[in-house]
Amino acid sequence: MADIITIIVVSLYFIAMLGIGVWASKKIKNTEDYLVAGRQLGFWVFILMMIGTVCSGMSLLGVAGLGYKAGWPTIWEQIFVPLAIGICIIFFGVKLHNVAKTSGYITVQDYLAHRYESPTALRTLSAVAGIIVSLIYLVGQYTAISMVLIWLFGIPLWLALVIATLVTMVYTAIGGLYAVAWASLVQSVTLIIGVLVMAPIIIWKAGGFTAVNEFIGTVNPNLVMPWNPTGAFAPPYVVSFAILLGLGLACAPHVINNVLTVKDVKYFKWSPLIAFVIYGIVIFLLKFAGFAGLAMVKGGEIAARTGVANPTDYVILDAIQNSLPNVTLWAIFAVIVLAAVMSTTDRLMLTIGAMFSWDIYKKVLKPDADDASVLLLSKIVVVLSAIGTMILAINPPEMLAILIWMGIGTMLATFAIPLLAGLYWRGATREGALASMTLGLLAALLFGFLNYFKVNAMGIDFAAIPLHFSAYAFIISLVAMIGVSLLTKKTAEKVLDETQTGWYISK
Amino acid sequence: MFGLPDITIIAVGGVVLAITAALVYWGLTFQGHD
Repeated sequence: MADIITIIVVSLYFIAMLGIGVWASKKIKNTEDYLVAGRQLGFWVFILMMIGTVCSGMSLLGVAGLGYKAGWPTIWEQIFVPLAIGICIIFFGVKLHNVAKTSGYITVQDYLAHRYESPTALRTLSAVAGIIVSLIYLVGQYTAISMVLIWLFGIPLWLALVIATLVTMVYTAIGGLYAVAWASLVQSVTLIIGVLVMAPIIIWKAGGFTAVNEFIGTVNPNLVMPWNPTGAFAPPYVVSFAILLGLGLACAPHVINNVLTVKDVKYFKWSPLIAFVIYGIVIFLLKFAGFAGLAMVKGGEIAARTGVANPTDYVILDAIQNSLPNVTLWAIFAVIVLAAVMSTTDRLMLTIGAMFSWDIYKKVLKPDADDASVLLLSKIVVVLSAIGTMILAINPPEMLAILIWMGIGTMLATFAIPLLAGLYWRGATREGALASMTLGLLAALLFGFLNYFKVNAMGIDFAAIPLHFSAYAFIISLVAMIGVSLLTKKTAEKVLDETQTGWYISK
Repeated sequence: MFGLPDITIIAVGGVVLAITAALVYWGLTFQGHD
């Protein structure tokens, strides 16, 4: 068991998060307050919420774990994940925010229903698909939280999951997006300062930037190359990876809904650059801490993990334990990891709550439902999604990164084309969007399954396909949108004008 | 440099610089409106 200082530090963090939830709950007057914070978020709260939403469990544990396993060819993750914030703001956010102000959108599904003149079918499909992909993603987050609690306290997995779930669930359920946004502010600042202080210590302990590169290059020359010669992280894979992370994360429901919450569209002017620089530095340091962990393991300083399902994801925890011989600092680092994970988890749960209570219940099943019942249902769904994913996270995958990429890949194949075509192509039709979203989702689930379980069928080894599996589903989604739209009735010009559809970002 | 092959520095550095330049350009040119 952990010492008293560790328990105090982690408990204080949990109490602070619950305090934010209680404070935020007093600001909630209606569903709009709960789901989009009354569209009143300021510049830095928005930027830090975007960073907090994108920075997930993978960002601390999985990123370092992947760096440990595969070296520099995986560095593209550190470029395209921070860029996803800018892509989201520039290509989706500006137009969605402007249209949402006049049309009163609460969720992106509101936009899709309006733009494609499909108040029931596309809205329901989009919400159900959003809930499925968010749940996949959420399982990865709870796995990461429980890993940290197990490492720090030596408690069983089930207990770690229960603690993590309870705290996140309570402050999200009572405080809605105000709680998520302000918790993200605290969590992102904690994360940024913590990583800027602690990652250089790990790197220094392993011999410094140049020495680590030189050492891992002697272990395997491919580890310091920008890509692998074949297979995963070969050039074609890197291109599909860039699309996966840059575009897939940008259109993920829990990320894109953030653009509806800001007070002023002018915040979108410099936020892409600021988010790219801040988060780019943080996530690069984390990746390099993984390289340092590899140098420590190969140099015999620390032992490689055994006896756990996902050993590489523990490398940064073992490296920090080796580099900072002080249990209080471990506790602080644990809080940093918890902050990163919880800042994504809370947003995901709230997004699931919004998609179910607003898009499915209020807009499809019971249009005459009053605001109080929608608000109550949002809170109930947040609680149920937390409990459901906690149960799913009991058996974690071999590598956290794989599961989280599966979630992002499914988001890419499902949402990217209907959103991009809706915003920029006046020829995109309702039937095209339905076909694109349905086939994209099904193809992503199928290819993801075949790839994850290394199926060899029809003469194809799905474990060794040259692109990330989501790229194939993305292409199917694109072809379906173009082909079906060309054959079906066009959207009314009035709707296209109302939704500012056309080849421009802003007029 | 930094214990890395030139190709790594050029490829990674080049992409980072290009993205940064594009985001600076966006910041300088985007006016925004409500």
